[in-house]
Amino acid sequence: MQAPDHSLLTELGKKLVAGSFSDANLQRATDATPDIAILPWVNVVKIGGQSIMDRGRDAVFPLVDEIIANLKRHKMILGTGAGTRARHIYSLAIELGLPVGVLTVLGTAVAWQNAQMLQYLLAKHGIAFLEPEGFASLPHYLMERGAVICQGMPPYKLWEANPAIGRIPPQRTDTGCFLIAEVYGARKMIYVKDEDGLYTADPKKDRNAKHIARISVQELLAADQDDLVVERAVLDLMLSARHIHEIQFINGLKPGQLSAALAGEPVGSIIFNAEHEQRKAS
Amino acid sequence: MNSDRSDPLHRQAGAQHVVSRLMRESLVDKAVIAGTEAPVRAILPRLNVIQIGGMSIMDRGQAAVMPLLKEIVANQDDHMQVIGVGPGVRARHILSVGLDLGLPTGALATLAAKSSAQNAYMISCLLADSGFVYLEAPFIVQLLPAMLAAARGAVFNGIPPYDLWEHPPAIGKIPPHGSDAGSYLVGEVFGARSVILLKDVDGLYTADPKNDSRAALIDDIGVAELAARKLPTLPIEPVLLDLLANAKLVKSIRIVNGLVPGNLTRALKGEPVGTLIHV
Repeated sequence: MQAPDHSLLTELGKKLVAGSFSDANLQRATDATPDIAILPWVNVVKIGGQSIMDRGRDAVFPLVDEIIANLKRHKMILGTGAGTRARHIYSLAIELGLPVGVLTVLGTAVAWQNAQMLQYLLAKHGIAFLEPEGFASLPHYLMERGAVICQGMPPYKLWEANPAIGRIPPQRTDTGCFLIAEVYGARKMIYVKDEDGLYTADPKKDRNAKHIARISVQELLAADQDDLVVERAVLDLMLSARHIHEIQFINGLKPGQLSAALAGEPVGSIIFNAEHEQRKAS
Repeated sequence: MNSDRSDPLHRQAGAQHVVSRLMRESLVDKAVIAGTEAPVRAILPRLNVIQIGGMSIMDRGQAAVMPLLKEIVANQDDHMQVIGVGPGVRARHILSVGLDLGLPTGALATLAAKSSAQNAYMISCLLADSGFVYLEAPFIVQLLPAMLAAARGAVFNGIPPYDLWEHPPAIGKIPPHGSDAGSYLVGEVFGARSVILLKDVDGLYTADPKNDSRAALIDDIGVAELAARKLPTLPIEPVLLDLLANAKLVKSIRIVNGLVPGNLTRALKGEPVGTLIHV
């Protein structure tokens, strides 16, 4: 066989073809490449399952009205959480001895149901639902109609990795929506829940819990809390994300919070990457 | 709990709940997570997942591929086999172009996965006459058991279907979950009997045998020990060590040289060929 002609390849390309991906030097060489943001104007908005969708009309209708009011101003990818039916099927499937990958397939169906319901409420405004396989059409729908709906789970299906402890899929709808924001280089990642954001303790159980307006992901990870406002996988991914350096948590039960967050106001709580802030400052 | 059972749609605090052990719990809470620890059942315990390397086997063409496929077919009567296939040099090329264009890791992963899909499709054509079918990810989810009952084997894309949702890695932009990770995860979720990775080296060495003549083959090593050795390069994706550390069912993988006739057969028999990496 003739020696391959690599003259069309960049210097990095030659290393990629010849080298081992496990080599940290090669990995670092790819770190120095530029990044383009594919959809820099899009906002990813995750609608909580247990916190919003399971509450039904009282919580969902005002939020839908607020989404509609923002359609002309802000482009949104609306991802849905799973909620109580996922908790039921996880319990049942764990008891039946089924593996984490199967639980992911089952949980995805619940987030999908919530996405469908949300889409029925937004359908008359021309808002489409997209499966992961249809994401190539996403820019078109966003330009035409201002928003699309998707289910929030990452499409890992049977390929979901086991958690270190327990049997619940570690990468669920918080993670799936975060990764959508990251891959498109989105303007904002907003999580709509039923609390004003982060607290020093669970405000549902502790009256002395204090609200935290802004905290770094590094500080939050170091605190190693027993409970968190977001999946731990999101915090880990924030450390290596190249586009999304802060995420915002707002109370979807309070009218106006989503609009304020979309307008760039610091409502709710913000988790930010302190390393990125330092790099920006220096 | 009795009062909960009388109202299966437990209405409380404004939300409609379905009664379950996890009802109203935070799935992020450490104690709740720890409480879900329980045994896992193997769905297909007779399954063997065999991965054909991209650069190491496929890109070598007929001389490397055909003897291996012959050996797979020779083992059909004794072993249930599904074949994952890696992407090889075309994925390296598209990563190079994609990185030059500034594309994110999720886009690179989606592109690279097409290269391994091509390789898997070629393998399925070459094994078609022996009753192997090519299954895309949705068919692995829905049809693998039926296909294995009806067909005599299956071929799948080694790269997992993470696509746009692939993780940005800790360093740089190379998608961390390649065909080693994908093949292992298929084995783990079905509770396979074995996961065998076919490469062009005899296994894992104490150093890179291509650069260091004193490099010695390691027959058998634990994941924690291997991670602690901090070898500068590995013949497998580093993420595989993290996945193995959390294994519930498939607690080892075997790396064997697919260019040496007989190695796959020995590995399928459970003989100590190549390197066993275990929990």
